[in-house]
This record gives sequence, C-alpha cells and structure tokens, in this order.
Amino acid sequence: MNRRLFFLSLSGLAGCTRARLPRLNVLNWSDYVAPETIPDFEREFQVQVRYGVFESAEEMLARVMSGNSGWDVVFPPNYFIKPMLDLGLLAPLDRSRLNGLAALEAKFQAPPWDPKLEHSVPYIWGATGIVHQTSLRPPPAGWAGLWEERVRGHVTMLDDPAEVLGAALKKLGYSLNSAEPAELEAAKRQAERQKGLLRAYINEVVKDQLVAGEVLAAQVWRSTAMRAMEAAGKRLAFVYPAEGYPLYADNIAILHESNRQELAHRFIEYLLRPEVAARIAEVKLESTVNAEARARLPEPMRTSEVLYPPEDVLTRGEWFQPLSGQTQRLRDRIWTEIKSS
Amino acid sequence: MSRVRTWALAPAGGLLILLFLIPMAIVTSYSWMTRGPYGGVAAPLTWENYARLFDPLYFSILIRSLVYAGIATGICVLMGFPLALFISRSGGRKNFYLGLVIVPFWTSFLVRTYAWMFLLRDTGLINTALQALGVIGEPLPLLYNPFAVMVGLVYGYLPFMVLPIFSTLERLDRSLLEAAADLGARPLDALFRITVPLCKPGILAGSVLVYISCLGAYLTPDLLGGGKTIMIGNLVQNQFTTARDWPFGAALSLILMLAVMALLLPLVRRGNEGLL
Repeated sequence: MNRRLFFLSLSGLAGCTRARLPRLNVLNWSDYVAPETIPDFEREFQVQVRYGVFESAEEMLARVMSGNSGWDVVFPPNYFIKPMLDLGLLAPLDRSRLNGLAALEAKFQAPPWDPKLEHSVPYIWGATGIVHQTSLRPPPAGWAGLWEERVRGHVTMLDDPAEVLGAALKKLGYSLNSAEPAELEAAKRQAERQKGLLRAYINEVVKDQLVAGEVLAAQVWRSTAMRAMEAAGKRLAFVYPAEGYPLYADNIAILHESNRQELAHRFIEYLLRPEVAARIAEVKLESTVNAEARARLPEPMRTSEVLYPPEDVLTRGEWFQPLSGQTQRLRDRIWTEIKSS
Repeated sequence: MSRVRTWALAPAGGLLILLFLIPMAIVTSYSWMTRGPYGGVAAPLTWENYARLFDPLYFSILIRSLVYAGIATGICVLMGFPLALFISRSGGRKNFYLGLVIVPFWTSFLVRTYAWMFLLRDTGLINTALQALGVIGEPLPLLYNPFAVMVGLVYGYLPFMVLPIFSTLERLDRSLLEAAADLGARPLDALFRITVPLCKPGILAGSVLVYISCLGAYLTPDLLGGGKTIMIGNLVQNQFTTARDWPFGAALSLILMLAVMALLLPLVRRGNEGLL
C-alpha cells in the first residue's frame, strides 16, 4: 500500500516536470524593477523567472564567483565589469540578437567600461551628491559644505568607504579613483576632521530623517534623494557638488555559466524596450540610459534636472573604476582608521 | 541498545558536522590563504593574515569590543538579576512576566533595532514627549552615539541573562532562606550571602551568553551607533564586503573565537565546580 502510494506520487512529480516552463534565473539589486516587469515577461515568453536580489555589488560577486551559481542574468555596476571579465564570469553578448540597442543614449552605446557593449548593456545610471533642506541658506554648493560648522550634528555621510573617501578626494581636487597613498592619506585627514561634525554614517535610512528635518545636509545616492524629495516636496533639494562627484551605472550581463543564453538575450531585449525601461525608471525614480524610454516619461520627470542634469553638470562627474587589490587594501585600512578615530 | 543510541545521535551529529565542523574547516583554511584580486582566496599559503592582527589599529578595535561587551554584560547582570528575582517571587503571574521577557524574541532583531531608532531619534517618541512636557527645549542627541549602542546591546541580550538566572532561582531551596532568617539574617544579608552565591551558575551562564553575543554584534553599532564606532564584528563584516579580503576576515573571526574561548574557559570551569 505504502509502496503503491509512493510510486503514484512519483508519477505526479513527473507530471510536474513535463508541465514546467523554461526557467530564467535573474539576480538583480533589490527593488530595481517595476512590479509588473517580471510577471509581464513571464507571461509573454511563457517562462518562469527565478528572481533573486542582492544588497551590495560585493555580495553579488561573491554569489556568482564560483562559476556554478545557477544564475543566468546579473546586474553588475560599471566598476565590476572588468573584474568579472577577468574572472571569466561574463558571457559575450550577441549583438545581432539584441534589438533595441539603438534606443540607448549615444554615450551609453559606447560606455568607457565596455565601449562596444560586448559583455554588458547599461540599465540605469546614478550619481552621488548632496541633499539639503532648502531652509539652509546659502545652500551647500559642493562637498566643502558638508565640512562646515553650521551643519554640526545635522550632517550625515554614506557608510561606504568609496563614497566617503571619494567625496574627500574630490574636495581636495583629486580623482575619486585615486590610488596615490599621499592623496589617500590627505583624504583620510579630511574625513577624520569631518567626523566630529557628523551625526552618522548611514545610507538609505537618512531618508526619513531628511523628511523629518532632523538632518540638514547629507551625502546621498541620488535615488535616496529622489525618494526623500518625493516625500518632502520643496523642502529638500539636490546638488551635484561643484568639486565633482561619483557617477555609476548598473548593467545587464549574462553569466558565462548560463546554458540559457538565448532566453537571457530575449530578457535583455525585453528590458531594452522603451515602454518597459520607462516604466522601471518612472516607478523607481531612477535615470534611464534609454533615450526612447526617457521620451516616454511623464513631464516633470522627463525634464527633471536632478534625474537628467545638463551637460556642463554631467561633465563634472567621474565614473567609479575598479581598484587594484593593493589599493583596495590600503583604502580599507584608511577606512578602518577613520571609523575608529 | 547502543545501536539505538547511535541512530538517535546521528541527526544531531550529522548536522553538527555539516553546519559546524565543515564551515569551521573552510574558515580555517581560508585564513591561511592570500586575498584574491577581486575577493575570494588565492594560492600561496601565508601567515600574514594573523600577523596583521598585531597591528595596533586592529588590536585596539578588539580591545574596544571586549570592553563594550564587558560593560553591556555588567549592566545586564545588574538589571537582569533583580528582574529574575522579581519574576521568581511573583507567584501566579510568573508565567505572564516570563512571557513579557520572551515575547520580543518573536520579532526579528533587525526590526527591534529599528524600533529603537524610532524611539531615540530627534523626532522620536522620547524626545517628542520630553519636549511636549517642557523638560527640554532642544532634542537630546540620543541616537548615533556609544550610549545608543549600549542601549541596543543591553536591550537585545537582556533575556539571555534573565532566563538562566531565573531557572537557578527556581531551583533555589527556600528552606535555606528560612534558615537564614531564623538565624537572624536580615533579608538583604540573606540575598547577598545566600541567594546570590547560589545563583552564580545562572549568572555565569547568562554572562557568557550575553558577552559572546555582544562581542559579535555588528548590527547595533551600525544602526544605533551610526557607523561611528567600529566593533570587531563590523571589521569582520567589512572584510567580506567592501574590503573583499576574505582571508583576513577569516583570520579575524577565528581569533575572535579563540579569544572568547580563552576568556570563558576558566569561568565555565569554575561555574561547573560551583554546581557540584
């Protein structure tokens, strides 16, 4: 009796396998698609998407580094493309299978980290800047504003070594990606000096404190600033710092290990569709890299100078770049010194 | 008989091997390797990750963590013992009070830590109430300092102190206290000369649990300390995230474990003798 039941259930399992849809495994940043993006894709292509999320690029890399991770499509930031290529993790893209690349803004059709889009397709771009209460007069023009006595106890920085050192380096007129020990040492002294004024090193959590007016000025990712400004209206404003600021872009890439290359290409193509990309940018308050998608955005968003700053502002930005192991280690030591000072 | 025993122990033993010994072996082997260029580990075996621990920078973080954990444990003893005593003597409502101690555990630690942020913020409950009552004009800076970290640690781990003390108090032979009273000891004398010494195993067990948990804490310093103070847990976490230095992270966590063991072994041994 038991045995018969067991075999019966086995045939049930077999039934499941036969009916199962082709599957695509997608590993993305948390909270980075519109609610209908994935369900629509599943319906249209008759597939099932296993959708996983990560909170930091390092986490994503650690999860796919084995080369046997079970994921097909990942979303690395621009400064992770080269490391992932060096580790042999990314599959070459077949551009002939990707309609819609022409919809990308010209500069994202040939980005510095992958000029021919051989292994990645840009998805969303972002920046780090300053958000401040409009009651703060005069408004901070650049990073130096976050070192001023008047914001003491009401200023926060990101809890991220690349961002804090990046701001200090920019304030001193150096590159974000500096590997020069003397420049990094000078940036460390800047950060240590600033620490006395700081309320905290925090990331997205600062949003509520900005809205509540507890924080006067903060170093933030633009996406956080957008959400805070959506909640607080005209009481908050975003500044692209005068000394220069970090730019980053997240990209779609296919893992070398994937044996669903065709479906993965279809997925990228789907995300390149202007209506799909526009919906994501609209819901997530992000800047799309897709010119046709931008044209479809509702009015205040399409012309927002925060989401799409004018060219002279954009040229002040600097892309994050991958750092050598040695520099990484020096920077971590400096970060630890700042944190325990 | 012995076969039954083997089979009964197999699941727990298997789990221990799978989830404890194998990961420990991996961590140990990583700690001898070299940092890969982009995280991960690479070939040449080295001592270096251990040598780096003698760097005064990292050493001072270790010391700070030991001190923080020690203070938090001390506060937990001072708060936990009277609470446990109160519960054990509250007769019929004992289970109700015990429930109150345990209920917060039903929510995740992260959520409870966030709750503290809402209490301690400038526009949080405490500051708003004090301002409304006219006690203070400006909000007190309660959040993002070592005080907030201490509040978070004590709050988070106090039940680990209360429960073991409570269970030793429950086993306490009441006739000893009656005897002390008959011999003329005042209640406070009896408390410090009878109850506390007999509770030592519970206090020790609670202290060990609280101390170890506090030592490894990294969420609390980040969320309530605003990332301005770094404890050894944050240092380990950084090695596996932004620093991408797994071997050093592995070495750090092993040393942390060894330090805890070295500190606690004598205590545990004495605790056992106390039980006899």
